[in-house]
Amino acid sequence: MTTEQRKVESRNDLFAERTATKIWQEIESPDNPYLADTCLCHGYDLLELTQKRSFVEVLFLLFRGELPDADEARLLEHLMISLINPGPRHPATRAAMNAGVGSTDREHILPIALSIYGGSHLGAGEVEPAMDWLRKQRKHDPLQLAHELITNGTPPEEGDWHIFPGFGSRFGGVDPMAAKIASHLTSLPGKHETLLWGCKFADVLNKHSLGWLSPAIAAAVFTDLGFSPRAGAGLFQLLGAPGLLAHGVELSNKPVTAMPFVKDENYVIKYD
Amino acid sequence: MSSSMTNRAYRLWDERRGKIQSNKGGWVIGKGVFNHGYSMMDDLVGKVSYMQVLILNATGRLPERPVADWFEAIYICMSWPDPRIWCNQIGALGGAMRASVVASTTAGVLAADAKTYGSKPLLQGVRFIQSALLDFKHGVSVDEIIRNECAKHRGKPKITGYARPLAKGDERVVAMERVQKLLALPAGEHLQLALQIESSLSRNFNESMNINGYGSAFLSDMGYTAEEIYRIFAIVVTSGVTACYVDTRDKAPDAFLPLRCTDVEYTGKSARPVP
Repeated sequence: MTTEQRKVESRNDLFAERTATKIWQEIESPDNPYLADTCLCHGYDLLELTQKRSFVEVLFLLFRGELPDADEARLLEHLMISLINPGPRHPATRAAMNAGVGSTDREHILPIALSIYGGSHLGAGEVEPAMDWLRKQRKHDPLQLAHELITNGTPPEEGDWHIFPGFGSRFGGVDPMAAKIASHLTSLPGKHETLLWGCKFADVLNKHSLGWLSPAIAAAVFTDLGFSPRAGAGLFQLLGAPGLLAHGVELSNKPVTAMPFVKDENYVIKYD
Repeated sequence: MSSSMTNRAYRLWDERRGKIQSNKGGWVIGKGVFNHGYSMMDDLVGKVSYMQVLILNATGRLPERPVADWFEAIYICMSWPDPRIWCNQIGALGGAMRASVVASTTAGVLAADAKTYGSKPLLQGVRFIQSALLDFKHGVSVDEIIRNECAKHRGKPKITGYARPLAKGDERVVAMERVQKLLALPAGEHLQLALQIESSLSRNFNESMNINGYGSAFLSDMGYTAEEIYRIFAIVVTSGVTACYVDTRDKAPDAFLPLRCTDVEYTGKSARPVP
């Protein structure tokens, strides 16, 4: 094609005049249109919410548009506590720790850790596909489905096998903490259709050293609470953020020698 | 489960505890810094371009200088200082917020890990042209290839690498064809097919190839895989984001594209008492 034929012309797309939101309303101050005098979240005054509702309830409100009932709030709060810290060995926490001990500016610690926590192995990247899959599969028999996936699936040559996002092995075995958390959450009052389905599915997987992993627990609870799969990854990151930050901050006033530095004899360069 | 079975289950991790085996290189204190078998200070510094080393690190292969120069040129094409572009606007907002240049630039780079622009669509662009070439070699015509793709999008010519958001036509393809000619880099069978696809799209839909389509085809001819291309282009938008950051960092804070309360349209529930 000639340069003339590749001539650039605007498509004249129709863009919105203003960004729209159903979530938050800021009512301008009489003296300055840039200052908000009142903030409303889905119609509720923010300051009234602070007096009458918990953080968990307002978090639910932000994403669902309505306040939760007592069972929903309790389920979300128990999930938030359960997943508050991926633990000091999780790669995302170790990223936070590396940032901390390396004297990275402290405001960067959390974004660094959350970027890694977005991964598709034990991270937020597993949550949305898990939610999509659970929403679709929970109508089917979990026992039969688990058998089919195990029969037709191929484990990786090395490392853990995630038979489906959020379900698989961890360090070659079933993650007992994940199983305990899932079991605890199902014991709470309320409807847990997806979570219960996941427990039956995981029971079959357990015989093959596979089971629940934390992203699928979050995915099942988010699904039962009616959250959109599009919110799943970010919510999972939000839930793990306190632990990630705490571990990074803990090391942020320590010298670089406070963490191991692999010795030369244990650092092997071997080209393919 | 017996202890020996358990041990077998986590042997992989036991073997790697406290050790790193790098297939890439590293710093051997007192001996030098090594990168894919090259001594960085002896073989690379001052002898090859930064882009050649970037590609070496992303792919494990050191390209010839003209290929690296082609990459450098396309890097220029894919990042410019206009804060209306989404990743660049993030840089500008970082400047307005007095975030650091590193935080703002990396935030913009992260934003370009997107389905619609930046580096990620290259994955799809490369897969399309490589699969199209296989079909073409099996006798599927160019028009059929397009028809098959259009069928996936209710008849619309939504093919990654062809057509472009916001505008029709792509001046960057013209610039890169000129660079390719200057560097004496040949057009292989992927690019030749891409040009045929473009001609058909132009005739039937008034659409042309965009920079993704051109780059995906050219680099497929150079033997790069989709994943390698995605890795090489990881930070492709960086310079434009930094430029937009600098523009707002040097002006009054929180004054980039300011919004009055009423500049955001509220479409949600009316005010109600908290139960």
